Amino acid sequence: MKIKVAGTGLTKFGELWSKDLLDLALDASNDAINESRLTKNDIDAVFMANMLHGKLTGQDHLGALVASSLGIKGASFRVEGACASGGLAVHLAIQSLLAGTYKNVLVVGAEKMTDAHVSEIISALMGAGSEQERKAGLTFPALYALMAKAHMQKFGTTRNHLASVSVKNHYHASMNEKAQFPFEVSMEKVLESPVISSPFTLFDASPITDGAGAVILTSDSTTPGVFITGSAVATDSVDLSSRKSLLEIAATKQASIKALKQAGVEIKDIHLAEVHDCFTIAEILAMEDLGFCKKGLGGEFVQKGHTRLGGKIPVNTSGGLKACGHPVAATGVKQIIEITHQLQKRAGKRQVEGANVGLTHNVGGSGATVVVHILQS
Amino acid sequence: MSTPVAIWRQHKTLSPYLNKVGKLIVWTKIFVAPSGFEHQTPYLVGIVDFGDHKMPLQIVDCEEADLKLNLKVITVIRKIGKAKAEDVIEYGVKVKPL
Repeated sequence: MKIKVAGTGLTKFGELWSKDLLDLALDASNDAINESRLTKNDIDAVFMANMLHGKLTGQDHLGALVASSLGIKGASFRVEGACASGGLAVHLAIQSLLAGTYKNVLVVGAEKMTDAHVSEIISALMGAGSEQERKAGLTFPALYALMAKAHMQKFGTTRNHLASVSVKNHYHASMNEKAQFPFEVSMEKVLESPVISSPFTLFDASPITDGAGAVILTSDSTTPGVFITGSAVATDSVDLSSRKSLLEIAATKQASIKALKQAGVEIKDIHLAEVHDCFTIAEILAMEDLGFCKKGLGGEFVQKGHTRLGGKIPVNTSGGLKACGHPVAATGVKQIIEITHQLQKRAGKRQVEGANVGLTHNVGGSGATVVVHILQS
Repeated sequence: MSTPVAIWRQHKTLSPYLNKVGKLIVWTKIFVAPSGFEHQTPYLVGIVDFGDHKMPLQIVDCEEADLKLNLKVITVIRKIGKAKAEDVIEYGVKVKPL
């Protein structure tokens, strides 16, 4: 696969009251185009990832809206796959480059969430769940809480294991000026924060965030950039209870096996990863399902510091969804940007020494859609 | 919440799900709810194994302390969410301890 990330653009993540969705998408896109040294005339297509904007504001047709606002006349698409929208947009853009349809494309993921009331956001996000889950009054924190409870029952995973994910990701975010929460938190702070859905407290959950990320992808071998050598998507049931097991996200296994095979590497060759820690249990499951540790030992693996900067396999050096923030459709693109910057040795204080091979893992819903990418310098 | 015609359509499908006995395999207590469920917080939701299929269902008529792994539960019909005065009231399946 000869696809490169030729440019990146990322807004600050957080409560950005002075910016609307289009402002965010354009800011990130213009930065990515400028960094790539291409011009807007060189961009053949725009892939715009977004999950919630139509539902929250009534504004749809976002592909054309962003492309035309940028002055790009080529093809434009809106891509939606719940919280995996960004990763899916990158995957689709890569397929269009591999097919030879386009040569240079812009992928932008953006979400404007903080204008809406919390209960509206919770309901809108449940569009990624099943009808029966909505009728049961379930929320995404609750769906992942059910997975956490099952993991605790089966493997003895503890509240401290879960909390250690949050503590570690806040530590990483403290070195990321783009993060929504660029500060550290203590184990006590996580454990003593209000319960949102047992066993989760507030600090087990990623926040409601505004933000955008954009990348320029190219098949032009003369353009400098980091290579994307593997890109795969896998699908499972939207309804959590219909899955074979609550102890894993099977689509993570399937997508990662395909992506690693495409890249010609094994999981032991990965130097760092950005994984989908929408809730603390999600990062523990990702460690196990990607193969960084054995099933059932993910909590211990994180608590021992193996995924911390300087550890065996640094995970979520950006701060992850938990502390960098989770503007839903921007997340999958932000993961690509973080790994790109790490492989280009421009991650500043959170730079992983010797990073040459990285992995991104983006999950939609409670595991119905999983996108895995492998990047190499 | 669902439209009146969607509620009418869905009510026709409820009867096969009633009076079924299953086992509670996992549960959570929800303190932050989506629109239409805020008045119920905190409330219990679990996954129930009916042998041939599993379903996510609200658990009623009990406290969290009453719940345990593999607890036998039975389906009942109850109101779903909160309807406004002019809306059609939506009913659906929940479970209570047997």
